[in-house]
Amino acid sequence: MRRIEIRSKLVENTAILYPGPYLNQLRGEAIENRCLELLSEGVRSVVINFEDTELINSIGVSILIGVIESIHESSGKLLLTNLSESNRELFDVLGLLSQVEIIESEEQALASFRGLTGAALC
Amino acid sequence: MEPATRKLLHSLTALADLGAEISSTHEFDEVMSASLHTMLGTLAMSRGAIARFSSRPLQLKVIAAKGNRILKGEKIVLGREEAEYLASCSRPVGLAEGNGLAGFTSRNGDLMKRLRAGSLAPAVARGELMGVILLSEKFNRESLTEQDLAIIAAIARHIGIAMYNHRLMVSLKRKAEENRRLYRGMRQMYQDTIRAFAAAIDLKDAYTSGHSDRVSRYSEAIAKEMGLTGTELEYIAVAGHLHDIGKIVVDRTIINNPRPLTEPEFLELNKHVTTGYEILSSIGHPWNEIAYMTKCHHERVDGRGYPQGLVGDQIPLGAKIVTLADSFDAMMTDRPYRSRLPLQQALGELQRNTGKQFAREVVLAFCRLLKKEISGEIRSRVLTMTVGRKFEREAVDSMLTSMLAAGDAGNQAMSC
Repeated sequence: MRRIEIRSKLVENTAILYPGPYLNQLRGEAIENRCLELLSEGVRSVVINFEDTELINSIGVSILIGVIESIHESSGKLLLTNLSESNRELFDVLGLLSQVEIIESEEQALASFRGLTGAALC
Repeated sequence: MEPATRKLLHSLTALADLGAEISSTHEFDEVMSASLHTMLGTLAMSRGAIARFSSRPLQLKVIAAKGNRILKGEKIVLGREEAEYLASCSRPVGLAEGNGLAGFTSRNGDLMKRLRAGSLAPAVARGELMGVILLSEKFNRESLTEQDLAIIAAIARHIGIAMYNHRLMVSLKRKAEENRRLYRGMRQMYQDTIRAFAAAIDLKDAYTSGHSDRVSRYSEAIAKEMGLTGTELEYIAVAGHLHDIGKIVVDRTIINNPRPLTEPEFLELNKHVTTGYEILSSIGHPWNEIAYMTKCHHERVDGRGYPQGLVGDQIPLGAKIVTLADSFDAMMTDRPYRSRLPLQQALGELQRNTGKQFAREVVLAFCRLLKKEISGEIRSRVLTMTVGRKFEREAVDSMLTSMLAAGDAGNQAMSC
């Protein structure tokens, strides 16, 4: 099966991943692989920004749950941002809203992580 | 959108995705992995596995898995009664319930623990257990609803059908391979039989040992030079082997007669072409053309041949090729009534009889091939195998050049 690269960046030791327009098997696996890479490099703060994501299919959901589990097992923290109304509804009916933290924007997510780090430093 | 409607829409989309995946050309392992993810994503479950059922040995084998430390290839112990129970289930079965799987969880405790398995969905097709889908609890730890169970059952049926179709495909592929092997064996046997026939024909004539085999090889090489390929080439090679099969019924004393034949003897010998045709056309031969080529291998393009006195293109091309190959071999080997001819003299005969006994296009192809063999342009030695190396290379080469030039001029004149 062909592989694709997904857009990602590292800001103040927080990884930000962009699934793109359609979170399906291909993009889901790319997110999962990149996430596992980052965890192995010691990153523990991850943001997935859904600003361009119009659709998430079942396989995408399944892989995303795997990503959530991997981050939790590594004692990391995951924030989801910029979810569209329909994707938020999907997470709601699947019962995922109680399992993962959702923030309005990427900036707020970064601020939240900064706050956590600051709190840890105090 | 109402949450229930939203969930139904998500499930329907999942079923559509699953249908597309199952009917795709992806590898079976990939299809199973995608199907498992579809099931887990539809219900927001974190772990699961698909295991294929086998009745001998009685077991389940993991072919797709999601979750930590669960490996493809792991075997799951299953009892006969449990398999029968699962085949009869149309809905997922809870592993904690008091049902027909009482011993299943305890026997496979380690894997069930790693999977956090809460339920098991049988994948059944045509009443036959194809496999099972082991599912963890939901990610939010809520219990499965009636709707969830219905969705699991629907997806499991799809997966069961995919497994059934895959098994059918594997079995068909195995049978097709077996048929190919049998076909290759039969083909080899067929070719060996033809060679044996050819050897039997040649044994009647003390002077023509290996004649049919050589005529076959010459014919095939000339046909190839003329651009023929595939089965046409094969027909001609077989016709070369069998062209004299009618001689089987000709009296040995006539065939081996060292003095000129009498008229009745000549007529008797000439019957071999029609006899050969009768022999070959009466058996269910796959290639009807071969029988007719055999009948026509003593026809001449000028119409003075036998048995039908056909002219030019009334004679099949294969027969024209076999005619030349037959004559060339006859000239290049000792006969009861004369010694073999030198190559130059044989070429002279071919030249003299071009357009009479032999078709021009066949003589030209023969000359081209012989020239290539003599010059070393091609490594194979078919036409020169009986010629040996004792001939005047330059004289033969120049003769072939002039025959080819004359042939070209003849072709041009014919096309004007």
